[in-house]
This record gives sequence, C-alpha cells and structure tokens, in this order.
Amino acid sequence: MAKMTASKTQEEQWMVQNQVFRIYDLVYRLPPHAQSVNFELRRDDHIEYLTRSLTQLGPNFTVLDANRPWLCYWIIHSIALLGDCVDDNLESDAIDFLRRCQDPNGGYGGGPGQMPHLATTYAAINALLTLGGHKSLSSINREKLYSFLLRMKDTSGGFRMHDGGEVDVRACYTAISVASVLNILDERLTQNVGDYIISCQTYEGGISGEPGAEAHGGYTFCGLAAMVLINEVHRLDLPGLINWVVFRQGIECGFQGRTNKLVDGCYSFWQGGVAAIIQRLHLMIKEQLGLSSTFKFDCITESDDDSSDTDREKPMLEGLNNNGYNFIKGSKGMRPLFNSMALQQYILLCTQEEAGFRDKPGKRRDHYHTCYVLSGLSVCHHCNVKEAETPPLPKDVMGPYSNLLEPVHPLYNIVLDKYYEAHEFFARL
Amino acid sequence: MHGRPRKAPTDEEQEASSNKAVKLRDLQSQVLQFHRNKIYTKEAIEISAKLLESNPEHYTGWNYRKLAVEHLLDHLPENGVDSESIQSILDEELRLVENALKRNFKSYGAWHHRKWILSKGHSSTDRELRLLSKFQKLDSRNFHAWNYRRFISALKKIPDEEELQYTTNMIYDNFSNYSAWHNRSVLLSNLLEKGGKGYDDRGTVLGEEYEFVRNALFTDPDDQSGWFYHLWLLEQTLQREPLFLSSWPPNGSTLCLSIDGYLNSQQSWPMLHFQSKARTFPLILYFSEAVEGVSSSTVTVESEYNAGGDLIWRPLSPKKFGFSQAWLTDLKFSDKVHSLESCPVKITVAHFPGIISSSGMPCSQSCHLSFTVCVPANDQERSEVQTAHRISLEEENFKALATQSEEAKLVHSLSKLEIEKVNRPTTCKQSLETISNEIAHCQELLSSTDCKIGKLTLARLWMARNTLITYGSTDDGTEVHYEDILALYRDLMKMDPVHICYYEDEYSLALWKQATSNLVSLLKHCYQYQETSSSPSMNPSLCVRLNGLSLSRIGSMEHLLWVQMLDLSHNKLRSIEGLETLQLLSCLNLSNNKICSFTALEPLKKLKSLQVLDISNNEIGAHSIDTRRYLCSSPLNHALVSEWHFDKFASDDVTLKDHWDAYLIFDDLNLIQLEIMGNAIVDDRLRSFLFKLMPSLKWIDGESKCD
Repeated sequence: MAKMTASKTQEEQWMVQNQVFRIYDLVYRLPPHAQSVNFELRRDDHIEYLTRSLTQLGPNFTVLDANRPWLCYWIIHSIALLGDCVDDNLESDAIDFLRRCQDPNGGYGGGPGQMPHLATTYAAINALLTLGGHKSLSSINREKLYSFLLRMKDTSGGFRMHDGGEVDVRACYTAISVASVLNILDERLTQNVGDYIISCQTYEGGISGEPGAEAHGGYTFCGLAAMVLINEVHRLDLPGLINWVVFRQGIECGFQGRTNKLVDGCYSFWQGGVAAIIQRLHLMIKEQLGLSSTFKFDCITESDDDSSDTDREKPMLEGLNNNGYNFIKGSKGMRPLFNSMALQQYILLCTQEEAGFRDKPGKRRDHYHTCYVLSGLSVCHHCNVKEAETPPLPKDVMGPYSNLLEPVHPLYNIVLDKYYEAHEFFARL
Repeated sequence: MHGRPRKAPTDEEQEASSNKAVKLRDLQSQVLQFHRNKIYTKEAIEISAKLLESNPEHYTGWNYRKLAVEHLLDHLPENGVDSESIQSILDEELRLVENALKRNFKSYGAWHHRKWILSKGHSSTDRELRLLSKFQKLDSRNFHAWNYRRFISALKKIPDEEELQYTTNMIYDNFSNYSAWHNRSVLLSNLLEKGGKGYDDRGTVLGEEYEFVRNALFTDPDDQSGWFYHLWLLEQTLQREPLFLSSWPPNGSTLCLSIDGYLNSQQSWPMLHFQSKARTFPLILYFSEAVEGVSSSTVTVESEYNAGGDLIWRPLSPKKFGFSQAWLTDLKFSDKVHSLESCPVKITVAHFPGIISSSGMPCSQSCHLSFTVCVPANDQERSEVQTAHRISLEEENFKALATQSEEAKLVHSLSKLEIEKVNRPTTCKQSLETISNEIAHCQELLSSTDCKIGKLTLARLWMARNTLITYGSTDDGTEVHYEDILALYRDLMKMDPVHICYYEDEYSLALWKQATSNLVSLLKHCYQYQETSSSPSMNPSLCVRLNGLSLSRIGSMEHLLWVQMLDLSHNKLRSIEGLETLQLLSCLNLSNNKICSFTALEPLKKLKSLQVLDISNNEIGAHSIDTRRYLCSSPLNHALVSEWHFDKFASDDVTLKDHWDAYLIFDDLNLIQLEIMGNAIVDDRLRSFLFKLMPSLKWIDGESKCD
C-alpha cells in the first residue's frame, strides 16, 4: 500500500484542532477564578460593538452594499438576543432606512433603489419584527409583498431569489418564512414547494442547496424549517436527517457545515437550530421509525410533580399561517440531540472576541458570525426546557447564569417575545 | 488570549479606502439610475462592469447586465446579425463574470449570470471546464463550483465517465475532498443504473471502488470522507432483492386446530397444535428486510374451506412509512365445518409483482409454501376437562434437550422449514468475495493502528458477510465470525463509552443472530420445561431460553416464529420491539431486565395468545414520575384506544387515572398469570386494579384472585 502524505484538508483540520485544543488546555489549567472569567459572556462589550456598527461602518463594508438589510438584521437581532434594544433615534432611523429599501411593488432590496430580493426581504422583515412596535410593523406593505412572493414562484415549485435570479432552498425558506410570520401564507405560495425541498434531501440525510448537490448545514436548516411551516415535514426522511446532523458536531465541540469541513461558529445556529426543531418533531419521528405509539424517547423531565397538567392539550390555532405558532406552543418531546455544553464551550472560548464573535480562532469577528453564534448560544441555553417560555436551569448555562440569552423561535430565528408581538399584530390584520 | 492585537491602519490607508468607498457608492448610484431609466449605452455598460468587478454581490447590477445584453442582441444592425458580433457581446459577459469570481467566488449572482449566458448557447465546453479547474483548485469544496460543474456537464452532455475521471483526479489531489467523493457517488449511481459499457457488472465496479477508497483510508484512518464513501459502497454491495424467509404455519407442516386452552400440548413434527376459539389461526410471512405491498393481490392463498374472500394483510412491526419485515393475516374456517381430516393450503408469495423493499428493490421470485390444516371433532368437550394451573419458571423445571428427544426432533424439523433456497439469486457470490477481500484489508489496517471506525467497519463487514452467506443460495459451510464480531463490539464499548448504547445494540443483534441462525446453536438454547411437582399427565413444553446474555435489543425472528415459550430474563432489555412477531407466544419471561415503564411493553398488545407473563424485577416506576406520557395515548390526550371504561372502575378507590398506562397495555391481554413483583410501581392497589381489568387473570405473583 503506497503511503501518501497528508492532504491539504487534513493539515488545515489538524491546525484548527490544535489551536482549539490549546485554548481548552490553557483555560482548564487556569486557577478557578481566572478560569471563570473566560467563560463569561462579555455582554456590554458586544452590545457596544453592535450598536456602534449600526450607526457607522468603515469603508471596507462596501462589499455588503447589496446586503444592507442583512446588516440591520444581524446587528438588531444580536442586540435583542443580548436582552437589550437600540435607542429610539436609532430605531427610527433603521425603520426609515428599511422603508427606503422596500420596493414600490413589494419586497425589499439590498439597499434603496435596488431590486427586491428574497434574502434581503427576509432580513428586513426579521429586523423590523425584532424592532417591534406599531411604526415598525405597520411599515410593511403586506399586500405588495405577497404579490412579490408570488412573482418569485418558479414552475418547479421552488422560489427564485429575485427577478431572473437563482432557484434554491434558501429562496424557498426565506419566502415561506416571511409569508408565515406576516400571516399571508396560502396554498398558492406553498404549492409544490415541498416537492422541491424533498428533491434536495440527499442520501446522506441532510439537505442540499439544489438537487444533486451535497448536504449542507445552512440549507438543511432552511429546508427543514420551511417544511415545518408548510406542514409537510413528515415527507422528509427525518431519521436520516438526524443521523446526518448529529455527526456534524466534532471533537472541536463546534459544528461543521458539511462532511469533512472545518468547524465554524455560525453553524452553531444552522445545525444547532436543526437540532432544536427536531426536538419538537418527536411524534413524526416516532411514526417514521415505526416505533409504537407508546414508545418514549429519552425526554425532558422538569420536576417530579408535574404529571398530567402539562399533558393537557393546548389550544391550537387553525390554519396554515399558525403552523409556526403552534409549533412553538407545543412541548419538546425529546432531549437535545447535540452536546449543548460542548457547543457552549466552543462558542465562549473559541469564537468570542473582546467584542463580537468569529468563525474560529485565527479569523476576524464580523456581524454575520456574531448574529449566528449568539443565536446558536441561545439555542444551547434553552434546549433543556420543555416549554419555550420556561427559564432554563443554571446547569444548562455554561459560565455564570448571567450569560443567559433570550430564547428564539427556531423556525424564524426571531427573539421569542418579539415573535409573539408580531404574531398578535398580524393575526389581527 | 482571544483578540490578537489589531494593527491600526495608517492614515494614508484609511484615506485610500475611504476614497474607494466613495467611488463605489458613486458607481452604484449610476448603475441603479441606468437600470431604472433603461440606459444601455457603451459607457453605461462599462460603468456597470466596474461596479460588478468590485462588488460581485450586486445582484441588481447583474440584472442590469442581462437587460443590457438582451437589448444589444435585439439592436444589432440589420445586416450585421452575424455570430461574431453576438459572440463578442457574450464574450464580454463571460470575461466580466470571470473577473467578478476572482474577487468573490462565492457570489451567487456571478455564477448565476454565467449559467444564464451559457444557456444562450455560447462558450465552449473546454473553456468552461478550464475555468472550473482553476476555481476548484483554489477551493475544492466550493459548492457553487460543483453545482456549476453539474450544470455544465448536463448542458454540454459530458459523459458521466469523464466526470467520474475528474473526481478521481480531484481525490488524488486531496483524498479528503468529500465534495469529490459525493459527486462520485452520484455519478456512479447513474452509471450503474444505466449499466452501459464497463458498468454492466456491478460487482466488479464496486470492487474497484473499494480498492480506490482504500488508499484514502490507509493514509489516514481518521479522515471522515473516505469512510463515509466506504459506508455508501457497503450499502450498494448489500443491495439486493428482499427474500421471503419463513412462515408460520411452516412449510410442510400439519396444523391441528383445537381449543385446548392453556399452554399448547406437546407438539411433534409434522403435527402442530394451535388453540383457537374462533377457528382462526394466524398466517405469518417473514422477509429478509422490511417490505411493503403484501396484500391479496401479491400473495395468493388457495384453500378449499377458506371462507371470506380477500384476506387482509397487516404489517406486524411497521417500520418507516409502513414497511415491515413480518406480515400477518388471519385464516378462518367457517363454523359449518365441524371436523376436517385435512385441508391443504397453498400459498404463493410474490405471485404477482408489488412487494418492494424500502430501498426500492422488488421481490421478484415467487415462492410456494403449503401446509395442511385439520380440525378435530368434539374439541369443545375436551377443553372443559383441562384446567389451568400455575406455571413455575424456577430453574429446576428446565432441562436441556436430549439429542434424541421428541423436542430436539421438533426443533430439528422446524429449523429446516425455511423456504427452499433454490430460487434465491446467486449474484451475491461476487459480493461475498468483495466483502471478504475488504475484511482482509480492514484487518491489515487494524494490525497497524487501533482505530474505532476501522473496528466498527470490520464488525459491519463481518455482519454483512454473514447476511450474504445465510441468505445466499449456496450453503458451502463458510465459517461465520460471530465471536470476532462480539469481541470487536466489546472492545468498542471500552474504547468509546460515549456510544456504548449503540455498540450494545449492535452486539445484541449479532449475538441474537449467532444464537438463532443455525440448528446447533439454537438447540443449545432449547429446553424442556416440565414441572417436577406436576402430575405426569402434564406434557412437557419446549422453551427457548435466551437469558443472561446481556441483550439490550431483540433481533431477527425468522427462525423463531413457532416459539410458544420464551425466556429472555436477566438481560438488559429496555424495549421489546420485535416480540410482536411471535404470534404463538403463550408464556414469556422478561424478569430482571431494564424495562422502565408499562408503555414499553406495547408490543405485547399484539400477542393474542399470551397467557403467562413474568416482568418481575424490572424498573417500572423506579424512575421519577413519568412526565413523558404525553407521548402516549392517555385519557387526557385522546387515544388509540377506542373506549375507556371509566365506569367500570368508578366505584373503586383505584382510579383509572392512576393506572392508565397499565390499563393501556393490559386491557388487550388475556393473561392467566402475571409476575410483577420487584418493580417500584407495584402495590396492592395496582394488583387489585389488574385483577379487575383482566377477568381471565388467576394469579399475580402467586397470589390467586380469591385470596
């Protein structure tokens, strides 16, 4: 057998691994006090970094000129996760800015005057919902947005990113997510989306961006969340999907996005979010596995005395648009399928900078990673409670309990309180 | 330790980059204006190129370019519509995309623009492949590039063989490139399906692939990509038709229907007895893997007295989406038939196509089986004579079988009742060679390194080999390696305790297979049960004992369909999924396992013949109150159970609500004897509840109902 030398991929993997292990080793050899400092979330510094970025960004950010609503969402959502909000002036400016990104014929573009685009529409809507309040929520032109979504519908059942743009699973998710959260989802929009997403689930178990490609963390999140929102998640091979996603958390403790890729902080949410969604799909999973109706997963137990009260069926709201609401109101039927403590360790020790978060040691912080690392950390904190609103136990939070972040709605990635406010607002319209 | 000091940019650098930003802003607003006002002059188009070269993410800019191209193509001078001028327009676009990709080769807009130009029928295959090679060299995992590659090969009809060669080159360059392995599996599936030249012989192709992936595995046994592909190959190698393996009643037997009551009397081949009050008996078909499509249109049953037309087939243990290894129907003899000397029943499985495995393989070989049924007259009178007595599962009541005993002969005959192997496809011979070859290589690898995934793969390969041997047409006595498999899993449990439950389950499956798949080992687990104290008139019974084996999971049932008395005590069973297949079971010992709730016993609900059940010394109720019950049907959460007889218990101090999970399981059973002590949940209230629930029940833990 000819011996080859290590591949480039392996060299890179070893390098990252060594860096990560060195950090863990160093921290665990520190005296207890110094050690605990390292596990602290530098909340105030993060908030300052984020708030500053919202008013003024350096000239290097011109590459994001076609993604400005994304910057708004990444920053505003991160601040909300940290339990803070932007001041009134800034909020008002952000709403005005996003209003200027809104196309007269519906949807939001990457900046004022740009064509409407599904991804930036998703970002703009999520940012506006996170800001909340009447001014923000009523700035959205739902009727026009609906007609924009309909225009983006492709004959394959999927959606096009923008007029003349590409069709992929990301487009399906962003379209379905905004329609659902704004209470404008209907059968014309959902028609055959499920078929398209099913055609992207690969034999590995995860979901790819387009048919024929390999499974990918971001697309797996998009595909799964969209399928839940259109109430067709039973059509996915869920055991296969679980099998894929659980093996994406590696020895570095964080998640990778695809097989044999390097760990990356942003997948804390993409893959962690998939795991969080799966926790509420226990009935479907059981059915697909052919487990008997009485089979019980290793489930979350909160205390010894809550017997039948919590089992009482909750009132479910009817209609396609309430899938997201009913989903979050239901209970988690199984324990998290990832190692929450390990992921929190990776996040706090390897991705946290003085302010802001990064992909991995050796990379620079940015707003995208700050947003998705924090979202992933929130998923970790809240993965062991059965009901969405229940505060987690101190043992679920690595580091001091003050690290605790706000819970998110995992299908939309909007802070839960903000989601409820928006749900109530749009349910009346 | 986190933030490395950031180098503050110098004033000049800062100024330069601000200037650049101002310029870019300016470009952007100009392009947006051109877009809005539909200005497609040469200058305007050049400005848009500048914007896209610095910011390839600017999708509005790309759309402007598309409109501009359409405009230019529409406005070519009347006499000048020649391919050259079209080409120069499109060439300019290709050049622009290339420059944009150099800036950011993850730009969705740029790749999409190129697809758009290509679909206009321009550019040469070579040129695109050259471009791709360049970008794929820079980032071999870039999924945009791989997507574009698949787009080009479909558009230009590049043969899959050539693309396969490309993945070979990519893998030689970096064997950890999973994107290349993935594309390889997609291409190879296509090629094997089409079966063109060089790909018509599946076995050879797969054999070569094993050899190819081995290089990667040997270089670094800890690399994920190769093993992932290896696992895919193994799955392809094992893909075969689902086989019909065994049935009850077994082929060639004579079944005597009686309403003898209680444990069935002594059986002696070929005369089998089955008690039935309703003159029905179960007909069970067992397949090598979960299948769907078992119905009266795929399976024919011919019998003179079988009244009732089309039979309803039910999956016994439905797996994903309604697939099941075992299928059940009830054969019924009408009441008009008082006694029957012999009634032959002929069954043809897969008489018509439609039985399909979950991997989509059809069961194409039809299989015949036949047995005879007789219904003795006056059986009613006899049944009244016999009265039930309490069974004692004490060790002293079990005796190993003497070689020449009636029971040994019976087991001997039953074990030969598999469906004839003649019809089985012989194609697996090559697969067998391939796998044996892989085993040798895997052993070689393990001789130099102690890697988990290597050991796991070796264990899987050995199991795969055993499957091929036992389901193959030739039984050439090839040695099976159960001991080695078990040793590997024991090793893995120590090496990798995090995944111990998985290894325990796999260990159990291997052990179960070892114990049941051949006569010699099965006989070791067969015992004669006869109570030492009982009257001689009591016939001894045949009991299969798989006790004290550390089983955590129940395995395949193909050789056990006839079992009526089963001892699974002193194992580690947490669930009993699989037992529902044993429709004849009348006495079951599950004592000293790890069952932690009544609801885990659900498979028992399907066992209509079960009369004696021992679940003593388990962990039912030992864990904190079960808050997971919302998963099951409960009175509070509507139900699978059609009706809850609340009133039946209304006057008692035992409320149904306290014991609804016991109700759920035991309401469907007709037990005569139950051993339940040694579970935290047991108290007198539960005992009296169970007596009330099951009128047939005579003893709980030795206490009889009247006490």
